[in-house]
Amino acid sequence: MNRSRSPLAKIGKTLQIFLLLFYALFALFPLLWMFIMSIKPDSQMLTTTFIFTPTLENYATVLHSDYMQFFCNNLIVSVAAVLVSLVVGAPAAYALARFQFKLKEDIAFTILSFRFAPEILVILPLYLIYQRLGLYDTYFGLIWVYQLITLPLLIWILRGFFEDISPDIEAAAQLDGYSWWQVFLRVLLPLVKPGLVAAGLLCFIFAWNSFTFPLLLSNNVQTSTVIALRYLASDTVHYGQVAAAAAISALPEVILALLIQKHLVRGLSFGAVKG
Amino acid sequence: MASILLSGLTKFYGKRRGVEDVTLEVGDQEFLTVFGPAGAGKTTTLNLIAGIVTPDRGSVRFGDRTVDALEPADRNVAMVFESYALYPQFTVYENMAFPLKSPKHRLPAAEVEQRVRHFATMLKIDHLLNRPIQALSNGQRQRTALGRALVRRPDVFLMDEPLSHLDAKLRHSMRAELKEMRGQLGTTTIYVTHDYLEAMSLGDRVAVINHGQILQVGKPEEVYFHPATVEVAQLFGDPEINIVDAKLRNRQATSVRVQALGEEWSLPITADISSALDRVTGDTVCLGFRPADVVVGGNGNSNLRGVVYSFEPLGTKSVLTIDSVAGQRVRALVDGHRSFDVDRRIEFGVPASSLIFFDPESTRYLVRSARTEGDD
Repeated sequence: MNRSRSPLAKIGKTLQIFLLLFYALFALFPLLWMFIMSIKPDSQMLTTTFIFTPTLENYATVLHSDYMQFFCNNLIVSVAAVLVSLVVGAPAAYALARFQFKLKEDIAFTILSFRFAPEILVILPLYLIYQRLGLYDTYFGLIWVYQLITLPLLIWILRGFFEDISPDIEAAAQLDGYSWWQVFLRVLLPLVKPGLVAAGLLCFIFAWNSFTFPLLLSNNVQTSTVIALRYLASDTVHYGQVAAAAAISALPEVILALLIQKHLVRGLSFGAVKG
Repeated sequence: MASILLSGLTKFYGKRRGVEDVTLEVGDQEFLTVFGPAGAGKTTTLNLIAGIVTPDRGSVRFGDRTVDALEPADRNVAMVFESYALYPQFTVYENMAFPLKSPKHRLPAAEVEQRVRHFATMLKIDHLLNRPIQALSNGQRQRTALGRALVRRPDVFLMDEPLSHLDAKLRHSMRAELKEMRGQLGTTTIYVTHDYLEAMSLGDRVAVINHGQILQVGKPEEVYFHPATVEVAQLFGDPEINIVDAKLRNRQATSVRVQALGEEWSLPITADISSALDRVTGDTVCLGFRPADVVVGGNGNSNLRGVVYSFEPLGTKSVLTIDSVAGQRVRALVDGHRSFDVDRRIEFGVPASSLIFFDPESTRYLVRSARTEGDD
């Protein structure tokens, strides 16, 4: 904007920037605090704030323990859950976007409603079922229950993307000689790629951060979120180690989000490209 | 052999009628235009032929084989969509090559390239082959869509209003190009449009459709000069044809007294007009006459009086709307050099040769006087 601004408008703009900065600081501060905690020795944890002697001992302790095993567990379970959701959710989203059938909106809402219920609410019946089915403390069991977290989100995001694609494009591809399945794989999926990326990343974050499900539905097959609890030992709370464990755990999500940032913004705001 | 036969095609979308009982025959290599206003059922008809939609009743035949059970991919039909339906993630070249790489065709890469380049050059988009389609203008996209249909060399072309999103000048030039192209290609084509000029200029025959039903099929002159119903007459021509009720008295072999537009005059008729009028019960009839045929201003023919309601100069021609003595509005097309003031009293007339008679109850065409050779 090149027009000269009134003093009032200038003040408004400065205020806007100031507020945004303040909010950014507010949002990022917990991360910063966690990082500070993770490099503070236990002895100085409660006595100092920003001035301390940094140490990497917390990280050393965490990494030398069996923590990495649980980190890998979390990785396996989260990635697998997202992949399963993608394979199942993409066709489901397509069906909800394109076809007309009885109770369509009811089904769609039911799927979304899985996200409404707090996990604590359903955990007891799930625990009993899992025990009965022998799914307790298995990778398979965790991946399956994670679908409650990842699938609704993925279906709802992808449905919007599929709805944005003109049905003429599918008809054109069919007339060009492709079967429905080939049209889906070669024409439609590339067009919803921003949605796949955005939804995939969000689902990964939610699956990765999941706490209640692995806490109560698993024992040895544990995720890093629950394992961080371990450092709240009975004698003293090793805040530094908890923070270090949390920092290591947060790393994949942050890196992934930064890498796919461009796709994420496009995926969440624009929708699929129109033909 | 690629003649098309549609028999009793019916398709309802819930309660809404797409098409009902559509029966149409298209000859091999014929260029048929399907003309109708928005919502008439034109796109539904095309979708039924292509197999994108299955009919509730009726069948589609190509030549002597019934294609009802065939998927769109197996019908060897190419369609140009109104929205172009280009693949957004591909370049122009990839869009045009996509059908040739499908399991149905599976041409070797060299031949794919040769065909794509051939048609791209024909359509004058060969310099755009590497461009993503987002970077194309509407006209260029339309040509790419056309190219994608042409490269396949199908049995049947289906075109859904391909020119409707182009500006008037481009539409005009593309119309001429299409005409030339169809001469070269000689493929059976069904071309859908809501523009009557396109329908009449491009089609070997015109099929008029409205409210999901075929109203008339015939050569362009037939549909324009001998419209099957008042509705068909009103769909062609801009400004719209004038339709007035008239009372006929004293009918004799060569003349009849006409009471219409608040006046009465003697109309000379021929024997076939007279015998056609025998079929009408009662003495009223519907008269239709095109604005271009209305004679305005004093000479022997102008026996009707009225007052100028509005005057729109449009360049070579001007549209004059006249309030007749009885209050009905009459539209006339006059030469652009003339000018008329609003509220001016005026005299006008309708030559007997341009009157079309319609049955007042069924609105069906009765008769008109024969057009002589060299009539405009």
